[in-house]
Amino acid sequence: MLLDTSYRVEIPGGIELEAQVVGPVPRFLAFAIDFMIRGVMLLVAGIASIPFGELGTGFWLIFWFFIEWFYPVLFEVFWRGQTPGKKVLGISVVQDDLTPISFGASLVRNLLRTVDFLPFFYLFGLITMVSNERFQRLGDLAAGTLVISIRETAKPAAVTDISPLAPPTTLSRTEQTALVDFLQRSQQLSRPRQEELASILDEITHSGSETRVEQLHRIGAWFLGVR
Amino acid sequence: MDLDKLQFKACVRSGWQAIDLGFLMARSWWLPLFMVGALPATLLLIPLLLVFWESPHWAGVIVWWLKPFWERLPLYLASRKIFSEAPPEWGIIQQVRSLYLKDWLPWLLWRRFSFNRAFDAPVTVLEELKAKPRSQRLRVLHGKHTDMALANQLVCFCCELILAAGLFTCLLFFIPDSLDPGVYDSLESLTLAGVWIYTLCYFSAMILVMPFHSMAGFALYLNRRIDLEAWDIEITFRSLSQRKKQAGSRLIASILIPLMISLSVIFQSTPTLAATDHNNESARELISEVLKGEDFGREETVEKWRFINWVEENQDRIPEWLIDFIEWMEANFKFDDATEETLQTTAFWLKVLLVVIFICLLVYLFYRFRGPLKKLGSSRQPEAAPDIMFGLDVRPESLPDDVPVQVMNLWQAEQPREALGLLYRATLSRLIAQHALRFKSSHTESECAALVQAYGIQSLSYYFFQLTRIWRRLAYGHELPQVNELKALCESWSKEMAHDPQ
Repeated sequence: MLLDTSYRVEIPGGIELEAQVVGPVPRFLAFAIDFMIRGVMLLVAGIASIPFGELGTGFWLIFWFFIEWFYPVLFEVFWRGQTPGKKVLGISVVQDDLTPISFGASLVRNLLRTVDFLPFFYLFGLITMVSNERFQRLGDLAAGTLVISIRETAKPAAVTDISPLAPPTTLSRTEQTALVDFLQRSQQLSRPRQEELASILDEITHSGSETRVEQLHRIGAWFLGVR
Repeated sequence: MDLDKLQFKACVRSGWQAIDLGFLMARSWWLPLFMVGALPATLLLIPLLLVFWESPHWAGVIVWWLKPFWERLPLYLASRKIFSEAPPEWGIIQQVRSLYLKDWLPWLLWRRFSFNRAFDAPVTVLEELKAKPRSQRLRVLHGKHTDMALANQLVCFCCELILAAGLFTCLLFFIPDSLDPGVYDSLESLTLAGVWIYTLCYFSAMILVMPFHSMAGFALYLNRRIDLEAWDIEITFRSLSQRKKQAGSRLIASILIPLMISLSVIFQSTPTLAATDHNNESARELISEVLKGEDFGREETVEKWRFINWVEENQDRIPEWLIDFIEWMEANFKFDDATEETLQTTAFWLKVLLVVIFICLLVYLFYRFRGPLKKLGSSRQPEAAPDIMFGLDVRPESLPDDVPVQVMNLWQAEQPREALGLLYRATLSRLIAQHALRFKSSHTESECAALVQAYGIQSLSYYFFQLTRIWRRLAYGHELPQVNELKALCESWSKEMAHDPQ
């Protein structure tokens, strides 16, 4: 079993969904951003409550209570599993079958922050996070939720100025992807390295006037749909 | 470097995912990585503590300063682990001296506080580059991921602090008051005992976080190399070429094996099918037995609490305690005038706020469901008649003047599909235009026929039924109709279309 950050779920239709689980570093930063936002909100509310004396203090405490407990819950439920901090980091909370997070699950995972917070600033949460391979803290384990990455990868530019070449043999999907990658990443691969890679595929290239690298590039273009 | 033995999935990841992969590596090889990092550090810390007995924090600072060294052994070990080469248990000890001496001075001076420490370390430790080649190499590697290296450094440093403080507070929680070691002598400063405890806590935190920090940096480095050297492509290309080679030998096997099987069948003619020949009765028994199994049926007992003498009417009455509570509130909460006034104004503004929220909600609901609401209003209007049905143009303008003649002309010109198509769409068009039959473009031919039947003119519906039958046979079954059938339809067309609309 190869080490990998991807998490797979097979849905009843036999289709496999894949997501990338997110570890402590991005989650810590997302939390730090949310923490700062909450801090600013509380500060502003605190200043606004000064003129109202003790009544203001009371309301401010209630406000604090709600911010503390419902800030993450409401954002997660109504904003596609993302608090502002998670949005910045491109991560999102989902159920562990990759469906959107439910209110109950969000409430459980955020109420259990009290335990994850122990004994000092989420130490327990950090430890549980690295003790399972899906990086779930205790709240996540209890609620059956998962933090996944939803950042979209940039699409490489289309290739048009290469004449395509039909592959001489049937290729699996992974192999097709590798050939397309070979074309699209050719800018950053050194020429000797490209030749080295192409020499592996003696079987499917033919020896002609064209170099192997060019032939593989043309096959890659064919798989990209250039005709 | 044998890429086929790579222990993690090679693909180009984003920086964040590379860091996460590093954390996965750290946790799956946790014990060896932790041991080779922590042991040398501990071996140095103990004599230092003995020297700095009165000020143990200096021992801690020195060990902390030497952290680039402690990270080298785990890194070296991991570089073997990712290719599933297990270095001999004690063999790594022989490497210690050479590993620690590689380019050691810069790493302890200006590079000690580099934000890319874990990211750059492999260039020194594994590639063994120094001075100019090193900086050239780094320039290439730093094309990406330096921000991630910074994030990794920052978060791991925070985790170290949190872990240290956490261990410290945890220890204090569990020391009984009667055994108070006197950690604080005033509010600000720690006592010597406190410094001892904190130094040990920080040291533990450092060695615990170290494997994660250094593996995350290593994973960033690996990700850069996968990107620059296309490891993932190489792995796939290799397996593809392997597959091609095997396919060659499989071709020979695919010829030989059927030959051998057929030979064995010829020589050994045992009736293998007889074994599966259950009769119906036993099969049914078997099925019911399987269905009784755990996989198919499951019983669940659900238990719930409820009051013993629960009466439905109890639910409607206001409970006694609520009345008591309200009376108690009234009796005990007397406000002075000023507070009363503040409350009154607050209540007023709350009321205003609620009304505004309610109005906003109403407006929002109207706005949100404006689509369905519009449809609700317009559904009474008849829908416009379709212009095209089954790909046939049914607008009256598109038809020739004398349809039956045109149809027969087309038929004689050996264009039967066009001929029958014209007849069919002319019929549809007339039915829509004259009889206002409500065809939709989504209706099928049989649904149209059913609509015509429901319309109630018997001869018309019979005519349309005949026409639909012939048309469908031709259109979908490519069966030519009889000439006299078509002729009959053409002749009665004008008559059927002339029915008065109902």
